[in-house]
This record gives sequence, structure tokens and C-alpha cells, in this order.
Amino acid sequence: MASSSSGYAMFLGCVIPNLLPHLEISIRKVFGRLDVEVKDIAGFSCCPEPIGTPGLDITTWVTLAARNLCVAEEAGLDIAAFCNGCFETLKEAKVLLEHDAKLRSKVAEALSKIGREYKGRVEVKHFAQVLYEDIGPAKLRGYVERPLEGVRVAAHYGCHILRPSHLLQVDDPFNPVLLDALVEATGAESVDYFRKFLCCGCGVSNLDEAANIKMVMEKLHYMTQAKADCMTVLCPVCFRQYDVRQMIINKTYGKDYNIPVLYYTQLLGLAMGMTPDELDLKSNRTKVDPLLAKLAGGK
Amino acid sequence: MTEAYHEINSKFRKELAELHEEGESLNHCYQCATCSGICPVFRYNSKYNPRRLIEGMLTGKRDELIHDPNIWLCTVCHNCTEVCPQGVRVSELLATLRNLAARAGNIPEHLRAEAKVLIETGLVNAPSKATISRRAKMGLPELKTADPAEIRALLEHLDFIKLAAKEEKAVKEESGGGKQQ
Repeated sequence: MASSSSGYAMFLGCVIPNLLPHLEISIRKVFGRLDVEVKDIAGFSCCPEPIGTPGLDITTWVTLAARNLCVAEEAGLDIAAFCNGCFETLKEAKVLLEHDAKLRSKVAEALSKIGREYKGRVEVKHFAQVLYEDIGPAKLRGYVERPLEGVRVAAHYGCHILRPSHLLQVDDPFNPVLLDALVEATGAESVDYFRKFLCCGCGVSNLDEAANIKMVMEKLHYMTQAKADCMTVLCPVCFRQYDVRQMIINKTYGKDYNIPVLYYTQLLGLAMGMTPDELDLKSNRTKVDPLLAKLAGGK
Repeated sequence: MTEAYHEINSKFRKELAELHEEGESLNHCYQCATCSGICPVFRYNSKYNPRRLIEGMLTGKRDELIHDPNIWLCTVCHNCTEVCPQGVRVSELLATLRNLAARAGNIPEHLRAEAKVLIETGLVNAPSKATISRRAKMGLPELKTADPAEIRALLEHLDFIKLAAKEEKAVKEESGGGKQQ
């Protein structure tokens, strides 16, 4: 409905504001300078998260998501989601409600009990889509004051921005270009690495932590092998997996992985000339110092 | 695993096809195991094998599957659905299977806990006092999330509160039937 010029409702989700508020700082600072407005609106609940909730009950999952779509619809805004999980939930709910008449009537009935009606007019985008589609990598370069030249970045898309591709309709599910283009817009190099599309494994962490640790380690191993200076992510859940778990893995397994993890707006913020303090990078668990040293020394 | 034909019960497939718009795609599976090959969980934990689960759906092993705790090991990466050469909506079918498991009380503890927080707060990560003061110190705005009473009313209507409290019965019930509860 709303065109990008009127801005987006900012859907931060549960993880960023409560567990990783320093990511929110970079989001607000970066978007504060861009031509696209993201607005705080009241009334969102949990998206709800796309792993456990649909496992328990798909109808409940879609209904709660539809209620969030109603909230944006009432505010006359499209949604920009800052978490892959929120994005999948909201976008998938939107598409399922367009296609599945049985589900649509169940959801409509439930929403009527709380006096709401979803009219189907809201667009749902991941914030990376807003950057890529509304602004575009070429124009984004115009905001870059300190190009990250010589920095090798391992891009990690995460699952829930890409798949299921027939519902999310963002990019190729195994050969996407979106984040690589956004990385290159900062002046950095997006490096190729093995297992680039491996899941962060958060969904299995509660039931089989060992499997999850191996998945994270595998990824860290190949990023190290590709001589990445840092990795960048589009999802706060993936962020925690690599940022927090990397420290745990190093301590517990005697490893020495040293891959700074940056949420994309942190990376872009640096390229836009913001200082590490402004972006609160010290709140990341992984040390970004080697990357900053490289930046300082390189140019 | 090879099954004798007399052990195949097609009721379960029909039930799954009714429950999910794309459940019918199950019938196209030819057991090539491309799903298991790309599954990141199966690589490290052979207890979670999507091909076996689909096979169980095809042959009607309803009871065995809905009481299997390992069906919850999925990370929901949707790789399986993407790569299936037959267009089987593997991850959607597995979510549908988990819905049936949940109705039979087969719910892992961490998801029960998560559901509890969702029911109480409308969020899965609710802000603690420490979070609220940390946010204020960082200069971040106050969060204006949904009224928990509204979310609770919605969840109540959807029978989600009852579902999340459902306990698993130790006794195995009839197999292949459509009415587990």
C-alpha cells in the first residue's frame, strides 16, 4: 500500500530490542541518515518466531502474524523487518493468506474476536530489501564516506530471508546477490567461502547443542580459511550464534577463531563514517579491533 | 526401510493432505533422500532424517511419528523444500506433523517455556527490568508492544493456551486414525 516515500513501520522483533539493543543503535543511526524513513509504531507483538510457534500450531502462528500486519495496516505503513525470523513469519503469513482460503477464513474469524480485520494491503520487506530495492547499491555508495577498501567480508544471509523462496520471493535461495551487493556498496569485498548458506543452527540449539556447535564451527572454519576479516549478518539470531557462540567455542574447545561479527547496519555505519563508539561496537562479543586496525592502516 | 505392502496405511497421508494446503505434494515423494542430503541437522545428528519422516508419513506410521521427540530437531532452514526434485513441501509437511505431535502432547520443554512467555507477555523475549534500564541508558526509546491481554485473548480463542499445556499420554493410541485427541 504505502509507497516507500511515506516510510515503513519498523519491526524490530523480540531479539534486537531486548537482547541486542546495541544493534538497534546502529539501525537507528544508519536509517536516520538515509532517504527512507523507518518509524516506531505501537502495538506489535512477537512476530511470532518461525521455528517453534508454527511447530506447535500453524494457524496460531499465522493469526498472530496477521494481527501484526493489521497493526501496520491501521497505521498506513508497510513493514520493514530487522530480523530474518520476523521477516519470514510476516511475509509468509501475508502470502499464505493470499493463497489459502481455508486458512484465511480461520484467521479472519479469530481476528474478529479481538475486533480486528486484515485487509491484505500491507507489504512486508526485510530491511536489506529496503536498502537494495528502494535505495539500491549505487545510491547507497553515495552515503559512504569511508569506503571499507581492502576489507574482506564473509556475507551470511541466514535462512529466513531466502527460504522458502516460493513464499518469500526475495532472491535465489542458494545463489542470491542481495547481501553481496550491499557489502560491496560499502567498498569492501564480499568473499566467497564454502558453506556460505549453512544455517546458523539456532533452531536445534536447545535440543542438540553439540550439533549446533559443530554447525557454527564449520562456518567459522571456512570463513577463516577464506581469510575473511569479518562476517556480516542480516539477522540478530544469526548474530548471536556467531558472535556469542564464537567466544564460547574458543573457550570451551580451545579454538582461536577470530571473526568479528557485524550486523549489516554496523558495517554500513562504519562505511558511512560513524565511529565504533557511535555504533556501540564494544558491545559486540567478538572483538572488532583487528578490523578497525586494518581500516585505520589501510587508508 | 522396506515395508511390506500390508503394513501401508494411507489414512495418514490423507489426513496430512487435508491439514495443509500443499500436503498433497507428499504423494510425489520417490524417496531419493535429496532432503536428507542437504539437511544441516542430519549431517550431525542421524536421529533427524527428513526422508525417513516422509517415508513414515507415506506408509502411515502416525503413532510412531507423532510420539517421536526427534521430529523437533529441525532448524526450519527449508533447504529440504527448496531442493526436492518432486516438489514435495517437505518443511511444511514436517511442521504439520509437529502440529499433530503437539496436539498429542509431544512438545519439547523449551517450546513449552517459550509458549508460556508468549501467552503471558505477547513476546518470546520479554524485556527484563535490566533491559529497560539498559535501553534508557543507551538513549533508546521505550518499547510500545502489544497489549498482552489482547494477545492472550487471541491465543485463548485459538486454543493455544490449552495446547501448550497438553501432556503426552504414556499409552499408545490407535494407529493411522485421524482423531488423536
